[in-house]
Amino acid sequence: MAGSRLQRAAFGVAVTGAYGLILAPVLAVIVISVFAQEIVSFPPTGFSLAWYANAWEKREFARGFATSLQLALAATAIGVPLGTAAALALARARLGGLRGALNTLLLGPLAVPGVVAGTALYLFYVRAEFWVDDDIKGTLPGLVAAHVLLTIPWTVRLVLASLQGLDRAAEEAAANLGARPFTVFRRITLPMLRPGVVAACLFSFIQSFENLELTLLLVGPGRTTLPVAMLNYLEFRVDPTLAAVATVQIALVGALMLITDRFVSLSRVV
Amino acid sequence: MAALLLPATLLVLGLLVAPMAMLFRISLNRYDAAQMMQEALTAENYLRALADPYYREVLGTTLGVAFTSTLLALLIGFPAAYWLARMESRWKSLATILTLFPLLVGNVVRAAGWMALLGRDGAINAGLIGMGLIAEPWPMLYTTGAVIAGILAVVAPYMILTLAAVIEGIPRGVEEAAANLGASPMTAFRRVVLPLALPGVAAGCVLVFILCMNAYATPVLLGGPQFKMMAPAVYDQFVRGTNWPFGAALAFLLLIVTLALTIIGSTILASRSRSR
Repeated sequence: MAGSRLQRAAFGVAVTGAYGLILAPVLAVIVISVFAQEIVSFPPTGFSLAWYANAWEKREFARGFATSLQLALAATAIGVPLGTAAALALARARLGGLRGALNTLLLGPLAVPGVVAGTALYLFYVRAEFWVDDDIKGTLPGLVAAHVLLTIPWTVRLVLASLQGLDRAAEEAAANLGARPFTVFRRITLPMLRPGVVAACLFSFIQSFENLELTLLLVGPGRTTLPVAMLNYLEFRVDPTLAAVATVQIALVGALMLITDRFVSLSRVV
Repeated sequence: MAALLLPATLLVLGLLVAPMAMLFRISLNRYDAAQMMQEALTAENYLRALADPYYREVLGTTLGVAFTSTLLALLIGFPAAYWLARMESRWKSLATILTLFPLLVGNVVRAAGWMALLGRDGAINAGLIGMGLIAEPWPMLYTTGAVIAGILAVVAPYMILTLAAVIEGIPRGVEEAAANLGASPMTAFRRVVLPLALPGVAAGCVLVFILCMNAYATPVLLGGPQFKMMAPAVYDQFVRGTNWPFGAALAFLLLIVTLALTIIGSTILASRSRSR
C-alpha cells in the first residue's frame, strides 16, 4: 500500500527528527571542542586537542571541576544512605495515614522548581548566618546541605521501586533459619536492593554535579561549581576551551551511565 | 523502623519547607530603602508584580514559550515514544540510554551546543550559505525561536520517557484488533492508541510545562540579555537588587501560576479521558 509506505516514511522522519533535536547540541559541543581555531566558525580550519590542556589551565574550570566533584561525592555519600533508610521505612514501617504525606514530602525537592527552592535557601542561609555568626553560603558545607536535598527524592523513588518488586520469602526463610534481624538485612535485603541503590547513587551524583538553579545563589567567590563557571563563561562566548570542559562533563556522565547499566538495566529503572 | 525516616524528613523540613515558609513570609513584607525590609502583612508586592508592564511582559513571554514548547514536545515526542515503547530487540536498552543521556548531561552544556549551531558563524548558517540558500548569516541566536528550540530539546526526553512508559502498557492486541477490523493505521492511532495513552499525555504535558515555566540556563544563554523569562527575572532581583520582598513575591507568583495552570490542565485532560 502506497499510503502505508508514506506513513511509515513520515513516522521514520518524525522519530529521527526528535532524536536529532535532542542529540544535536551534545554532538555539536563534542565536535567544536577539537576545532583548531579559537573563534568557532564552520567549516573548521583544522583540528586540535590543545583546548583540553588550555581548559585545565584556566583556574575557574579546574577549581569548578574539583568543587563539583567534591560536592557530588559528599552529597551522594550523605543523601543515599538517608534516602535508602527512609525508603525502607516507607515500605516496611507501620505508618498508617502518614505514609502518603511522608512520601509526598520526601519527593518534594523534585516537585519544587529549582529557582524557588534556590531563592528560599539563599534567604534562609543569609538569615542563618546572623544566628550562627559564621559564613554558610559560599562554603562547601552550605552547598553540600543544599545538594543532599537533591539526592533524597531520587534515592527514595528508586529504592522504593526496587523494594516493591522484592520477594519477602527469602528474608523470612533466613529469619526462620535463625539469622538475627541485622544479619538478614546485611546478607539478604541489602544485596537485593543493590540495583536500586546503585541507580540512586548514579542519579544523585549526576543531579548534584550538573545542578545549576539551586546552586547559583549559594556559590561564593573562589568556590564556584563547574556548571556555574560554564554559565558565567558562556554569557560572553562559546569557544573550543569551553566545549572541551563541557565534553569532559559529557564523558563523565556517559561513563557513569555505562557503568551503572552493567549493574542495573537503565531501561527498567526510569 | 519508623525512626529511619527521621533524618531525611528533618532534612527536607529544615532545608525546603522552612525556607519556603520564610520566603512566603518575606513576600508579604514591605521594602524599605534604608532598612531593606519592614515587617508587614501586605499583598502589595504581588499586586505590583501583576501591574508592572515589565513583569507582565516577562510573565507573558514565559507563558507563551512554555505553552508552545509543551505542545511541540508532545508533537515530536509521541512518535519517538511510540517507537521506543514498541521496540523489542536488545537495542531498546541502548535507545533508552540515548534518550536519557542528553537529559543527564545538563542544560548548560546543551545550551553551549546550541550556541555553536545557531550562532552567526555557526554550523547551520555555514551550511545554508554553503548550499547557496542564503547570502548573509541569518540571525538565529538570541531570538525567541532559539529559546524554544533549546527548551524543546531539554524537555523532549522527559516527554518521550513518560509517554513510552504508558504506551508500553497498551497491549499490542488492541491495535491489531483495530487493524483486523479494517481501521487504517491513522484511524487505529486516533481512535485506539491516543485515547488509551491520554493519562501519559496528561502526565507528560504537566511535567514538561513545569520545566518550561522554570527554565533558567536556556533563556539566559540562548535568549540573550534582552530576552527575559520568569526564572532569570527572579534571580535578578536577588543578584542585582536588594528588594527581597518583591523578589520573594515574584518567586511565589511563578510557583502559583504554574501550579494553577497545571491543575486546570490536568483536570481538563482527566475529564476528557473519562468521557471517552
